[in-house]
Amino acid sequence: MTTAAVRPKLRRRSQRAAWDEEPSFVGKFVKAAFLICYAAAIVLPIWAVVATSFASEAALQQAGGNLLLIPTEVSTQAYREILGGGALTNSLLLTVLLTAGGTALSMILTIGAAYGLSRPGSLAHRPLLMLVLFTFLFGPGMYPSYLVVQKLGLLDTYWSLILPMALNAFNLIVLRSFFMNSVPAELIDAAKMDGAGEFRILFKVVLPMSKAILAVIALFYAVGYWNMYFQAVLYTPGLETQPIQVVLQRMLMSTQGMPGADIGQYQAAEAAPTAALKMAVVVCTIVPIVIMYPFIQKHFTKAIITGAIKG
Amino acid sequence: MTALQTSAPPASGRAGGRPDFKRKRTVKQRLRHDWPLLLMTAPALAQLAVFFYWPSSWNIIAFMDYSPYRGFWENPFVGFAWFERLFSDPYFVPALLNTLKFSALNLVFLFPLSIALALIMHSVVSTKVRSVFQSIVYLPYFFSWVLVVTIFVQVLGADGLASNWLLGFGGDRLDIMSDPGTFTFLAWLQWAWKDAGWGMIIFLAALASINPSLYEAAAVDGAGRWRRMWHITIPGIRPVIVLLLILHIGNILTVGFEQYQLQREAVGYQTTEVLDTFVYYRAILTSQYSFGTAAGLFKGVIGLILILVANNVAHRLGEQGIYQKS
Repeated sequence: MTTAAVRPKLRRRSQRAAWDEEPSFVGKFVKAAFLICYAAAIVLPIWAVVATSFASEAALQQAGGNLLLIPTEVSTQAYREILGGGALTNSLLLTVLLTAGGTALSMILTIGAAYGLSRPGSLAHRPLLMLVLFTFLFGPGMYPSYLVVQKLGLLDTYWSLILPMALNAFNLIVLRSFFMNSVPAELIDAAKMDGAGEFRILFKVVLPMSKAILAVIALFYAVGYWNMYFQAVLYTPGLETQPIQVVLQRMLMSTQGMPGADIGQYQAAEAAPTAALKMAVVVCTIVPIVIMYPFIQKHFTKAIITGAIKG
Repeated sequence: MTALQTSAPPASGRAGGRPDFKRKRTVKQRLRHDWPLLLMTAPALAQLAVFFYWPSSWNIIAFMDYSPYRGFWENPFVGFAWFERLFSDPYFVPALLNTLKFSALNLVFLFPLSIALALIMHSVVSTKVRSVFQSIVYLPYFFSWVLVVTIFVQVLGADGLASNWLLGFGGDRLDIMSDPGTFTFLAWLQWAWKDAGWGMIIFLAALASINPSLYEAAAVDGAGRWRRMWHITIPGIRPVIVLLLILHIGNILTVGFEQYQLQREAVGYQTTEVLDTFVYYRAILTSQYSFGTAAGLFKGVIGLILILVANNVAHRLGEQGIYQKS
């Protein structure tokens, strides 16, 4: 893309340009119908999940299934069960901690390397950058990664859910591009003239100018930790308190009646989870994402452009 | 992908503005000057060394008959024996074919869906409609596969919402979620539901960067809506399409693990086995070190070759690709 092409300005005027002819009625209708159907295919299932999580047992019986669109009788029983202590509460707390700790560590690694490799002409920055970029081209494979975690003695520890995925090279490169292209070099040079060290420049000049993109990258990391499932299956199958996604999967399997499904010990004594309880867990895994999302969504495009096109 | 390009031009571009004497300093002097930068980079490099380069070097056991109970160098080298065994394995080739099938489906039907969505979105004039719609369709991208599969089971599963409606109208239960015959389509549908909306973001950005005066000039010259799309819009987003195509091709053997592992019990391994689940179920769970490593290495090397070849082809066709020849 040429530099002229990079204008992160998605919004046009809410008005059709003078030269643009009005589309036909049929064209408009088809377009509107398509967009509405598409949005409904996303919104309706989510709504049904939320509605079911608040439905009482009786309302569910009446609806005759495991999902309903309008709860005839509202109950917060499922949420009281999740938050009332016990295995589900522990799992949620664990996931919150993993997400917070993991994101913090990831941001430290990413910011440090992105800035450290962004200064032109610094010692060895090019070969070091190549080391980072090579990770785009090749994957070490699942088994060797597993062996390394095993050798380090991290199997069945929570560290194995953070350390192996603490750095995402793509995020690093996006942030580095931002530091190089969107933070004026004059500001950094001026700070240097004033005798500021690199750490001071990073914290006082560069980071305050990069809040939006830092928020997006932190969101990506946080979502990655929050949604972690595969790593837990691979690295920590023996732990008693599992990340929430694993618990959700077990609950789902336990009522699907699937042969060989691992129901888990967490509710051996209890009955199979009710539909409302399952859906309440689903809601709990969605809510943090939905809360964070509007604040950060407006910066997505900018981050993506910085990463993919501008570079 | 970015910096493969950035590394060359901007670095030299800016370094050009710096005084020349800086380039002639010794390594020791530069170290004294740059140590804070290296210190900042060190934790990330340590992470890469331990969790990328160390496991990468472990791939050597794909050429050994490795056993953890021997000293490392006491393991005999066996050449390509494990790779030969891979291709005679009754589960590997089907897993490879499944992987290619899911990958191809995504390339052929998901990728264009994102482009089509972006084109439709771009033609919507009202900014309000656009921003609401974007907020909705980006959201599922942030859901985990566990969540997506759960939602699909609840809506389309045998006890799900759709099934219930059908029963209410006197029909039969749906069992498409556990039918191997429909799984391929459902896997695609799940993927589309989750990612197609997000996929459009990059095309939208590319569309927004097309100079509107091009459209105006074409319209004045009498080009209609479709001609303008063909001659201005499509060429305008072509570099982005090529870039994503290369990345897709490089990832052709990577379709993920979770989506298939999660539905393995319900649908059966024959339909859901892909390379990653193959390594997990047929090697890690049975502690076949060298065999599993060989399968992963096969995947890694094919991916590496494909991405280099695709990028080379893109260069020959006059596209920018993901990195430039330097």
